[in-house]
Amino acid sequence: MRPAASGDGVLGALLRSSLARIIPIGMILLALQTTLFVEMQPFGVIIQVVLTFAACAGAVGGPDRGGITGFVLGLMVDLSIGTPLGSTSISMGLAGYVAGWCDVIRVETTWWFAMIFVTLGAAVGEIAVPVVDRFIGVDNAFVPETATIVPVVAVAAAFLSIPLVPVARWALKLRGPEIKLPAHET
Amino acid sequence: MAIYSAGRRRTILILLLSSILLITLDLRGNAVFNGVRTAFNYALRPFEIAGEVVTRPVERAWNGITRVDDLERENELLQEQLDRQRADQVAAQAAIQENQELKALLSIESLSSFDTRTCRIVGSSPSNFDQRVEIDCGSLDGLRVGMPVVNDSGLVGKITALSLDTSVVMLATDPLYTVPVKVMASPASGSSDDESETEPEETVPSGLEVGDVTTTTTTTSAPPTTEVTTGDESATGESSESSETGDATTDSSVPTTGPDGSVPPGTTTTTTTTLVPPTRETGKLDGYGGRLLPRVSLIDESQAFGRIDVGDAILTAGGSDSLAPPDIPIGVVANVITRAGVGGLELEVELNADLDRLNFLTVILYTAPREAGGLG
Repeated sequence: MRPAASGDGVLGALLRSSLARIIPIGMILLALQTTLFVEMQPFGVIIQVVLTFAACAGAVGGPDRGGITGFVLGLMVDLSIGTPLGSTSISMGLAGYVAGWCDVIRVETTWWFAMIFVTLGAAVGEIAVPVVDRFIGVDNAFVPETATIVPVVAVAAAFLSIPLVPVARWALKLRGPEIKLPAHET
Repeated sequence: MAIYSAGRRRTILILLLSSILLITLDLRGNAVFNGVRTAFNYALRPFEIAGEVVTRPVERAWNGITRVDDLERENELLQEQLDRQRADQVAAQAAIQENQELKALLSIESLSSFDTRTCRIVGSSPSNFDQRVEIDCGSLDGLRVGMPVVNDSGLVGKITALSLDTSVVMLATDPLYTVPVKVMASPASGSSDDESETEPEETVPSGLEVGDVTTTTTTTSAPPTTEVTTGDESATGESSESSETGDATTDSSVPTTGPDGSVPPGTTTTTTTTLVPPTRETGKLDGYGGRLLPRVSLIDESQAFGRIDVGDAILTAGGSDSLAPPDIPIGVVANVITRAGVGGLELEVELNADLDRLNFLTVILYTAPREAGGLG
């Protein structure tokens, strides 16, 4: 998220920030999630395209951007499907944060390197769903199918990362790989 | 920037605390959040409609590739099932008619007493852990949160979220779903004294190991059984009918007439209707998520009820605290699990409704007595 110029109004700052791109993209992906991906269930598992996008944002933008993007997308999912507001934000924010390590430990993010971290982030995010559910009082949050759900979601995220990583880069207004300096030089 | 910098920790902490705050506020009920939800769903609707139109060819291609064999096999099975059930339908219609007449006579509230709305499913939950669907009826159609949802086979779930023209239905398999139920023993299982003293048949559960579960159980009355005997008596020239309902006993004598209206000499027909003290076992049905069967938790095993067997019917219990009216069919007992200690029995329930193949749902416009009283 880029800082707003001083003196701008809140709306202007919002329109200039990457949220102005993330929210419409999130709505398109959410529409696909609730239509196409609910029908297409490989091995009986619903592929999580919004979660994947959060992880992709982390992979190209780093843990902070990934976490914030995941948080925003999670709020949108919660508003859409009626789950407690903030519950999906935690799991998706976690996905973006974990995938963001990719951007921290490597200067230039190649497609296959991003794919690996998107896979990891999506897996962590999907595992976090029943964990969060358990914390908010769902007694039977952990189902035996979790052992199937997580790998399928993670592998599907790997394939989806190929088209979604460039989209995430555009949404976060990143122009090519960013050169990062070691922490002690910043 | 390092993975664990101070700025990064602050960001993560703020996000986490924000999420926890939002969850807390939402779980306690917040009108602002509900309004935002409704507005967001309105904003999302054009995207969903466009998504449906654009992705329909892909969905059909996918279904064509992955489901043809299953559908052919299922079609054959359904055809066999249909042939078998045609014969049963005639008998069932007569039984339903008789049941409704008896309920009307006894002034018992039945499902037909309530208004209903038939709605179409327009979406499913995109989550792998929630069991919810979206229907195209909302508060404008008279729906309220908590109303039970059924299809032709039985209970499907309940309304959990509302907008003006859509609603979210939590299916009976969702981990958060719970409803008071009663177990109706099949005639064979509860009739014998010997059987009532034996241990319930233990069967293998379908899912996870049975843990200790805190449950609430009450034993209340069950629908009456009716025994009708018909026989000949000598030299009275009339028939007598005796019926007993709880404290009330009714004896009536009517002449037995032949096809031509004459009374055959020396012939009587005695009809005795005995309504035994009704018994039933009640408990609480909980969803367990995923492919696991819902379970009914019981504490006390009523000796009067007898043994609970696989195949016994499960119906909603109703009552002032229940969001569902009584006697909605839910399913049958699939497994009887004996829990360790004083846990009592736990029953796995095979739902009548096939929740994987839902198209149209009926919402029963029923408000729980306690809520109705509170609103009034």
